[in-house]
Amino acid sequence: MTARSVDLAISYQDLGQITVGGIATGAVYALLLLGVLLVFRVSRNINFGFGQVGMVGAFGGWYLYSSHGFPVVVGLMLATLVAVALSAVVELAVRHIPDDRAGLDLVVTLGVFLLLTSVAQNLVDSNTHTFQPLLTDRRTVVGGVYINGNDIGVVVLALMSIGGFYWLLARTHLGVSLRAAAESPAIAASTGINVGLLRTGTWAAAGLVAAVVAMITASRLSVDAFYMTPVLVKVFIAGMIGGLDRFFAPLAAAFLLGLYEAWVTYFAGAAAATPAVFLLIIAVLALMPKRWAEERREVRA
Amino acid sequence: MTSPSVPASGTSALPELRVASLTVQYGAFVALQDITVSFPRGEIVGLIGPNGAGKTTLLNAVSGFSGGVSGEVHLGDRDITRVPVRDRVMAGVVRGFQTVRLLDQEDVFTNVALGTERLAQPTFVEQWLGLPRQRSARRRDHAATWEVLALLGLTADAHRPVDELPFASRRLVEVGRVLVTRPCVVLLDEPAAGLDTEGRLALEEVLRSVHRTAPSTMVLVEHDVALVARLCSSAIALDSGRLVCTGTPQDVLANAQVQRAYFGRTAHA
Amino acid sequence: MTTEAPVQSHTPTASPARPGPARGRQLLLLAAIAVALVAVPLVLSEYWVFLCAQVLVYGVATQGLNILYGRTGQLSLAHATFLGGGAYTTYVVITHGYSPAVALAAVWAVSLVAGLVVAVPTLRLSGLRLALVTLAFGELFQWVIVHTTGTTGGTQGTPVDSIVAGTIDTAKPLWAYVLALCFAVPATVLALQLARTQLGRGMLAVRESELAAASAGVAIAKTKIIAFVAAALFAGTAGWLYAFTSGFLAPTDFDLFASVYLLVAVVLGGSGSVLGSWLGAAYIVLVPQLFNLLGYPTLYSLVGGAVLIVVALLVPNGLAGLLSQAVKRLTSTRGRP
Repeated sequence: MTARSVDLAISYQDLGQITVGGIATGAVYALLLLGVLLVFRVSRNINFGFGQVGMVGAFGGWYLYSSHGFPVVVGLMLATLVAVALSAVVELAVRHIPDDRAGLDLVVTLGVFLLLTSVAQNLVDSNTHTFQPLLTDRRTVVGGVYINGNDIGVVVLALMSIGGFYWLLARTHLGVSLRAAAESPAIAASTGINVGLLRTGTWAAAGLVAAVVAMITASRLSVDAFYMTPVLVKVFIAGMIGGLDRFFAPLAAAFLLGLYEAWVTYFAGAAAATPAVFLLIIAVLALMPKRWAEERREVRA
Repeated sequence: MTSPSVPASGTSALPELRVASLTVQYGAFVALQDITVSFPRGEIVGLIGPNGAGKTTLLNAVSGFSGGVSGEVHLGDRDITRVPVRDRVMAGVVRGFQTVRLLDQEDVFTNVALGTERLAQPTFVEQWLGLPRQRSARRRDHAATWEVLALLGLTADAHRPVDELPFASRRLVEVGRVLVTRPCVVLLDEPAAGLDTEGRLALEEVLRSVHRTAPSTMVLVEHDVALVARLCSSAIALDSGRLVCTGTPQDVLANAQVQRAYFGRTAHA
Repeated sequence: MTTEAPVQSHTPTASPARPGPARGRQLLLLAAIAVALVAVPLVLSEYWVFLCAQVLVYGVATQGLNILYGRTGQLSLAHATFLGGGAYTTYVVITHGYSPAVALAAVWAVSLVAGLVVAVPTLRLSGLRLALVTLAFGELFQWVIVHTTGTTGGTQGTPVDSIVAGTIDTAKPLWAYVLALCFAVPATVLALQLARTQLGRGMLAVRESELAAASAGVAIAKTKIIAFVAAALFAGTAGWLYAFTSGFLAPTDFDLFASVYLLVAVVLGGSGSVLGSWLGAAYIVLVPQLFNLLGYPTLYSLVGGAVLIVVALLVPNGLAGLLSQAVKRLTSTRGRP
């Protein structure tokens, strides 16, 4: 090979590497976004403490297996159960917000965010810890690009979950019930749907998603009381860009956001990632026309 | 008094509200099709039609709350088709809503006083520093508010939070907000909906006395045809987005298509 | 329901003024507050005087957030950012050799611009999208501070010199208190006056029903911008005070958590209430100290989240609402058998 084509080969490798990383990160975002979309679909609410619910699963699990001698799997499962239960409890609280006080769900779930963070800090500690590798230590090389087991796993999991949820929401009775429960709970209830159970169950399922994503994220980075917050913020950003009312658009936005982050980091350095992402959301939200209504549709035709 | 309202004196100073070839379309759905009609100056005009006829859409298009508009809306010799809501309000086009929109955390007085926003107000700096212009503006606004509250019979309730009031009173509060500055075009969307007989008569009386004392063109979207017949001197009928006919309420209600749309094939007394 | 004019005639010039006894009660309350404010440095120890000074500083900030969120309904997670902007602007201006007065003018200019910059993208947004954009600005501010170690001290933070003039040293509790009071009083007066204006009423309308507001002729965008700029100016001023009274600035004092705690203060005190925002400021300054003294320093953060949840759900009018209910019940039982 000539010197020039060696150069090209290296930069393609680099690009390939960051693209793999970006897609994997995007898959993590997409998975967490699935939980957010589920919750929004069934109760038109936002849970700002969603990331912390997941954190309880991962950080709590770590705490159980590293400080209390639980077997790893048992510790993680127990903590996940707690996260699921927590998510259901938050739903019970948010459910009681009267319709005319829109925006209160944000305030209440901000309280949940604060509460869970401080519980974790006080119960465990404020330090950062290493988590289970979850296949991050198993790598293969494809075309000079390193792909680890975690990357493959999370992308596969994300795609399967997206497919599974799509089928569930679009093709089954359950999916229709979910949407009915959100749009007109009274009518849904009169057709025999147990709206309350449906909502609590959906939030619980979302809690499971959060816990799984939190564990994956912990394996890719590290775990502490705060680490899920930036992830959740970026997930919300992807959701806002694609539209919380839709399905494939926000999920695609999640993958693209992961790629965007990875590419910005490569070309402009790690320090540039934060401003790049936040400037993006400011620009997008400022310039995007108000296509859909998060609030109740006001003026009827 | 059951005779229809007579235009108050000074009507000739009122700008005429009219629409020409007005079409409102949302994607494939056509809410209003090529409506050309003028609202008789200074009269109380009933806008009738079955559900989905486009009555609220017409109000929306006139008041600026609608998208997907093609055609023209004129106020006097001014083309207000593309004019934003606020400027229309300043020009005197004020509306109420089908679902009462109030400031639920505030009292009756504040809610009605909100309507004085369209009067000439001091700058926010003058307001915030409590300068003399602010004091006199505030006096003027409060005077107008008390006057309208008296007309509506709400003086005693002035400091009660609106979410404590019965539905009929909440309706009246919104009507008060619309009327407090005596705008030249008043658009009310089913103001009598949900009111009992007593409430309807009271509302009728309020509208009639306001109309008597200050000239305006009042457009009432209403399903209560008896109320329309009693109160309105003109009527416009819509059906499925199209104009059916205009004229006196008696003529309009006797129209065959209106009869069919409202009462089915057999005519009702 | 009658539509005849009521027999009583209301003087047209009367605002919805309270009857005589309530006006007297108001003056009494005012006098009591004045006495208490003067008594603080005379009666309390230096430690408590300094805490009161901090309450005054944070109170100026919470009044600002109360205007933006409590009154206008715009949920901003960037309020600590405005505070930090004021504090760091003060520091930068001072280190370039300018006087505190110049620093204040600079703070107001910077806050004005900051308020505009944050307001404009949020005009058509509400709820989560609005909160996210403000959060984004907050994170950007943090990033700027952390990455400009040369000018701002970065993550480690930086000490700030207090204002010294003769015997006056604003690092000392007494002078910190006096300086803060000089701004707390006008801030409160402005906040109270706002409630009597058309602008203030328009802000309520923007919060409660943008439809009602639009149909009444409220200039919604302009109102939101004014609310943001006012919030930024209040918080920026509080930042100026903070710089001269606390002696040290660190970016963690102005992060997302700080913004959330300012929100807790406004919500707990009672959204929209001037008194409420003072109660809230007292809470976020004094209660952590209380828990420290009791020996449970970590309890405060646990309680903070719980407080926000409980108050938002169960006590929508906050402490101020509870207080006014209690006062009402006390005064109305006098007239009844």
